[in-house]
Amino acid sequence: MTESIPLTWEEVARVYGKKIYNFAYRLTGNSNDAADLVQEVLLRVRRGLASYQPGSFEGWLWRITRNAFLDDVRKRKRRPTSPLPDDIDRWDLASSPGADVEFSRVSLGDDIQKALLELPVEFREAVVLCDIVGLSYEEISQAAAVPIGTVRSRIHRGRKILKELLT
Amino acid sequence: MTHAGELISAYLDGELGGGERQRLFDHLSSCGTCAVEMEEMQVVRSAVRSLPMMELPPGLIPEADVEAVPLTRNRGFLVGAAAAVVAMVIAVAAILTPSPVALSVDDLNSRFGARVSADPAFGPAKVVVPSIIEITE
Repeated sequence: MTESIPLTWEEVARVYGKKIYNFAYRLTGNSNDAADLVQEVLLRVRRGLASYQPGSFEGWLWRITRNAFLDDVRKRKRRPTSPLPDDIDRWDLASSPGADVEFSRVSLGDDIQKALLELPVEFREAVVLCDIVGLSYEEISQAAAVPIGTVRSRIHRGRKILKELLT
Repeated sequence: MTHAGELISAYLDGELGGGERQRLFDHLSSCGTCAVEMEEMQVVRSAVRSLPMMELPPGLIPEADVEAVPLTRNRGFLVGAAAAVVAMVIAVAAILTPSPVALSVDDLNSRFGARVSADPAFGPAKVVVPSIIEITE
């Protein structure tokens, strides 16, 4: 990731618009909500650039983006947002049938998208920021304001749940 | 190490340092469960990454707005440059325009309404607009 700082919100829109839209689309599962989120993020970027302090621009931008998403989730409460499970064991990962199981449906984008939406929000955003947006653990840590160890844990747990959902 | 757990995803994502990587490899060499999990996580990771990048809906980021920055900058530059060129042409034209005819005090008075002294120091010879030759020298 480059650390060149876009000077205007228009440049942020041009450079990051598609990534923000894809982040939003994979988190919300539909284009209308994703489009609304992109507009909200760009609005916040426009307001925030005036007071932006040099640092990790990626971390700053994605923090704005995920905060906008979480604010929207809280406000509208109409998206499928599973609470963070207290007990990850409920997924019964020990009964995993093994790698020889074919992920027969794994190539179907709709199934993957559906599984993503079943992830707890914290796991979902970590997986999407890593695998869709392409951020490093350090950048995800800055965006989500959590330690890198937490990022590592959320991504791995998220993937294990996805594996269960896709088999 | 009980099981490799999240070290597996960190390794797949290139986020594992040398020490942890060695610990992971040592563990995988003797733990079939984690070796299987490594393969599973690799499949899931690849599956999510295989999702297509969605195109932005038309109009979500208006082209006019996106292009406004460079266009505005260019327009401002062109206007400034054009003004500078015009000013320069006017200045050069004024300098290069021959005006060999000496103006009299009456001419100045009648043209500008200025009251020019009849003192020889302010005589016509002193208010002649320089000619090209004089400028060249």
